[in-house]
Amino acid sequence: MSKSEFKPTDEYHYNRSGPVRWITSHAIRYPIFPLGTVLAAVLNNWAYSYRQVLIGQAFDLIAVPGWERSALLALALGVAAVAAIQGVTGLVRNFSIEFLAQHIERDARDELYVSLLGKSQTFHGKQRIGDIMARATNDVRQLNLMFSPGLMLIIDSAMAIVVPIALIAQLNWRLLLTPFVFVVLWALTVADYNRRLKPVSLAQREQFGEMNAGLAEAVAGIEVVKANAQEQREWSRFVSNARQFRDTFVQQGKIQALYWPMLIFALCWTGGFLHAMLFWRAGGISLGQVVGFIGLMGTLRFPTFISIFSFNLVQLGIAGARRILELLNTETELDENESGVARRIQGEVTFDDVSFGYDGKPVLSEVSFTARPGETVAIVGQTGSGKTTLTRLINRIFDADKGQVLVDGVDVREWHMESLRSQISTIEQDVFLFSRTLAENIAFGCADADEEAIEEAARAAQAHDFITSFSDGYETEIGERGVTLSGGQRQRIAIARAFLTDPRILILDDSTSAIDSATEDQIQRAMRRISRGQPDALRTTFIITHRLSQIRWADRILVLQRGKLADQGTHDELMARSEDYRRLFVRYD
Amino acid sequence: MGFVLDGLDTESYDRSYSDRELVRRIIGYFRPHVRQTILVGLMIALNSAAGTGGPILISRTLDLIKERPNVQLILMMAGGILMLEATSWGFNYIRQWFSAEVVGDVVLKLREDVFGATIAHDLSFYDEHSSGKIVSRVTSDTQDFSNVATLVMDLISQILLVVLLAGWLLSISFRLTLLLLAMAPLAAAIALGFRRIARRVTQNARRVTAKINAQIQESISGIMIAKSFRQERAIYGTFQDNNAQAYRVGMQRGLTLNTIFPVMGIASGAGVALLVYAGGLATRGGISPGNWYLFMQAVGYFWWPLMNISSFWSQFQDGLSAAERVFALIDAEPRVVQEADEPVDQLEGRVEFRNLTFAYDEDEAVLPDFSLEISPGETVALVGHTGAGKSSVARLISRFYEFQDGELLVDGRDIRRVNLRQYRRHIGVVPQEPYLFSGTVSDNVRYAWPEATEEQVRQAARSISGGDWLAHLPDGLQTDVGERGASLSMGQRQLVALARVLLKNPAIFILDEATASVDPFTEMQIQEGLEAIMSDRTAIVIAHRLSTVRHADRILVMDRGRIIEEGTHDQLMAQGGHYGQLYNTYFRHQSLDYIESVGQLDTS
Repeated sequence: MSKSEFKPTDEYHYNRSGPVRWITSHAIRYPIFPLGTVLAAVLNNWAYSYRQVLIGQAFDLIAVPGWERSALLALALGVAAVAAIQGVTGLVRNFSIEFLAQHIERDARDELYVSLLGKSQTFHGKQRIGDIMARATNDVRQLNLMFSPGLMLIIDSAMAIVVPIALIAQLNWRLLLTPFVFVVLWALTVADYNRRLKPVSLAQREQFGEMNAGLAEAVAGIEVVKANAQEQREWSRFVSNARQFRDTFVQQGKIQALYWPMLIFALCWTGGFLHAMLFWRAGGISLGQVVGFIGLMGTLRFPTFISIFSFNLVQLGIAGARRILELLNTETELDENESGVARRIQGEVTFDDVSFGYDGKPVLSEVSFTARPGETVAIVGQTGSGKTTLTRLINRIFDADKGQVLVDGVDVREWHMESLRSQISTIEQDVFLFSRTLAENIAFGCADADEEAIEEAARAAQAHDFITSFSDGYETEIGERGVTLSGGQRQRIAIARAFLTDPRILILDDSTSAIDSATEDQIQRAMRRISRGQPDALRTTFIITHRLSQIRWADRILVLQRGKLADQGTHDELMARSEDYRRLFVRYD
Repeated sequence: MGFVLDGLDTESYDRSYSDRELVRRIIGYFRPHVRQTILVGLMIALNSAAGTGGPILISRTLDLIKERPNVQLILMMAGGILMLEATSWGFNYIRQWFSAEVVGDVVLKLREDVFGATIAHDLSFYDEHSSGKIVSRVTSDTQDFSNVATLVMDLISQILLVVLLAGWLLSISFRLTLLLLAMAPLAAAIALGFRRIARRVTQNARRVTAKINAQIQESISGIMIAKSFRQERAIYGTFQDNNAQAYRVGMQRGLTLNTIFPVMGIASGAGVALLVYAGGLATRGGISPGNWYLFMQAVGYFWWPLMNISSFWSQFQDGLSAAERVFALIDAEPRVVQEADEPVDQLEGRVEFRNLTFAYDEDEAVLPDFSLEISPGETVALVGHTGAGKSSVARLISRFYEFQDGELLVDGRDIRRVNLRQYRRHIGVVPQEPYLFSGTVSDNVRYAWPEATEEQVRQAARSISGGDWLAHLPDGLQTDVGERGASLSMGQRQLVALARVLLKNPAIFILDEATASVDPFTEMQIQEGLEAIMSDRTAIVIAHRLSTVRHADRILVMDRGRIIEEGTHDQLMAQGGHYGQLYNTYFRHQSLDYIESVGQLDTS
């Protein structure tokens, strides 16, 4: 990675040029485990197959009367010893692959996390949390499953075919005829089986998802369904989905029924039997070798059967790796501009004919305005009118396509990014809080803030009262194990955070609704106070708001309509000028 | 049945069925497919017989070998083995083919029944049971049941094979067979003991994994905030702790689960070794080497089915309890029951509660002895604290719940005696969080009346604020609303729900006003839409908006299921009673006076 905003002290470098290479480079970080897996798998299958050879020898022994007990005992103990080897190597094989799988899950997640921390705010501003989460949990998990049991089964079934065949070669190389025929036919039929099964399995999974989603929708919307007397229609819709699922289910069952490899196995096994018998009759091998050979051929039954599963898991794992890599390989595109302007911001923000769009769709067009230092600017408009995007151009989450955004008269692209961003704070619509204490959440940006400072910030944000109403006060845990806060409370915690960091420019996305007047009072006080700043250094504040009271008292109001600045000015100016704006307030008379 | 999962996943409507009842119900579903089912059974038997024949034939062959058979005999034997193997494969093929059809049909019928029963329930049922759990019963539990059906067939086939083989072996050597069978309890004990450990480890892991996943989710959601406060290193430390914990738990579980097969392998190998010796000695007592070999092979045939039986047993139990849960859902009694089925062609919109008593559960009546008359065309606003009974009033009119005592009359007719489908065509309901189905805006507007033309839909949409709101949707009426309306804003969803009601043109309109915050322009459109709807029909509104209460013909102040004050906004404000207090708590901050006063707010 060329640019990264964060590097841990001892970073390990993986090959990120492709999913398979990436997985391999993870696996060979711990060479002992893949090596152990393969070695143990070889030994394990050798032991399992060798049992058949020993049984064959025992058969030879007892076929001729007058044999020694001790010779049989030795062979029986041999069988037991081989079984013990088989068990122990089986454990080694399983444990090695499990270690590898768990290590890889852990490392891949760590790698992903470090990479995410290294990416710019621009990147995170564009990503959906849900999507990243899916990659960090499901896809990483899929990697684990790909190794254990996916690759383990593949290695094991490969060995379960190779080793018996090697032992057969040891018995007599001429006996290799039928095993080879088997391997060729087996490979062909398994490939054919997978080819036929794959689309149907996929269709079945999709159909199940569709049935489930349709059902979930009907159940969640049951009130609407009933109020509109549409039960019959929802029932028919569900039944039609369930019927399609049934069809794919039956289709899959029929494909699975026709599992040719098992018939191929039966055919080759008999062929092998015939071959061995004729060979024995011609005097080429002993009867015990015939027995051993038949037993060895019999061990091929298991890998023939198991090859149904494993390939699918590996495919899923590679697909997961590809999705993770996409994220890892996304470059941070904004220039840090380390030699740019770095100084204290006064707070003047100017948009000069700014246009911006993404994915080919214009979001803002030709927006121009100036906010003077210390002003509170309210941004109003309907959903999709570009309010949030406008604020994101100020701290360079996005860069304007056309025109200029200036802070203190300097184009934001001329600023040293770190200096610019460190003086601009954003309070998002959905305030994110960590599952820690309230005090830790307030002090998140300033780890060195003392209790007194935290309490003062909380008071200023009108959060002190509700915090002290909890029995643990500032030490109250929030989140899963602790209390749940309402939207208005979370917002005030975020405002308290902002009091501690004291930014020069504050962007506040306020869509919180208060259903009672007392809460509304508190939110109003907190917002008015945070937007004002210190008396000697007033803060410039942008508020995206639904509250008429915020709009009414803002120094400047920007009215956005589908990406265009429809109007701007003070409340009085707009009241005098704009019919639309007046209508907002007239209703409340 | 179902003791395995007792207490883990039970619902109030769950009941215990006797094994006999359960089996009877299940057989009932297979009855329409009796021929295929019998065919499947036959195939299973034949398959097992052929499967047993294979090893026996080989052992016979080995004994014959000693006599140096001629080529013809060898060919015959090989042909025999091939026949057995091939027919066994063929039987299996036929069995799977038909069982896929039977199981597919049975599960389909089960799903039809269970969803039919679910959708017939009234809303009290949906209040009590989370939608996720209902959904999982209809799809996943039925799926589990189908897995069990397949499982049972496998199991029967394997047991049959073991029994047939054991019978044959008994006829050869009683003592050796006994030795072989003596291993069975050992195999079962290992499998069961291991299963107990595995179950505990898995349950532990599941619990811990859920917690760790939540933590990892948090540390990932927190990246953005950590970056804006430049706390990367601190949050990375937290993440590493969480990740290490996930690693430990996963490792513990993985290692445990990976022990079973090697251990079983050692045990079965020891069994074979024992038979090599004991069987070898027995050949001195007259057992042929071929039969000795057969005993050797039999270990494999016996061992794995036994292990399978013990591990399948829990799945079998789970599947039966899944069936039990599905039947319980089918059998749950609906509470809203209509006494008659009188047609409802027209509705004027008069609603009358007469000494009605309503309770969600027996202990506490939400509405005790409640009486209220609403005239056709009247707009009534219900106000009061949470739990005052406002939504109960609204939902009883929709006939979503059954009441216990008194009467509810609509146009003077008993609500219990009307045809519900027809009646509900005359009411329009907008819940607090309007619900949209995936599809276009247009699909959603016509939800109540699928036959409406595009022009009618457009007209309904235009009667809200002149149709301005459509211009803010990327594709107008054809805009895809996304899953549950996720691609629209909360305000836009409300507008769609209002257009839906306008198209339906009901006699009675019931609205639970949203509390979510909506931008002022959209809010204005919603208000205009509401005025359009309420102007010429009966409207019952659970009010949260100041403008709504002001425009209501009558405000009912409710407290603990009673109406304690009623009148218009101005009348009630002049009285200065409970309404005055409610106004100060819920509506004051919406007034223009308040908006004006914010400028003078003391912020110190």
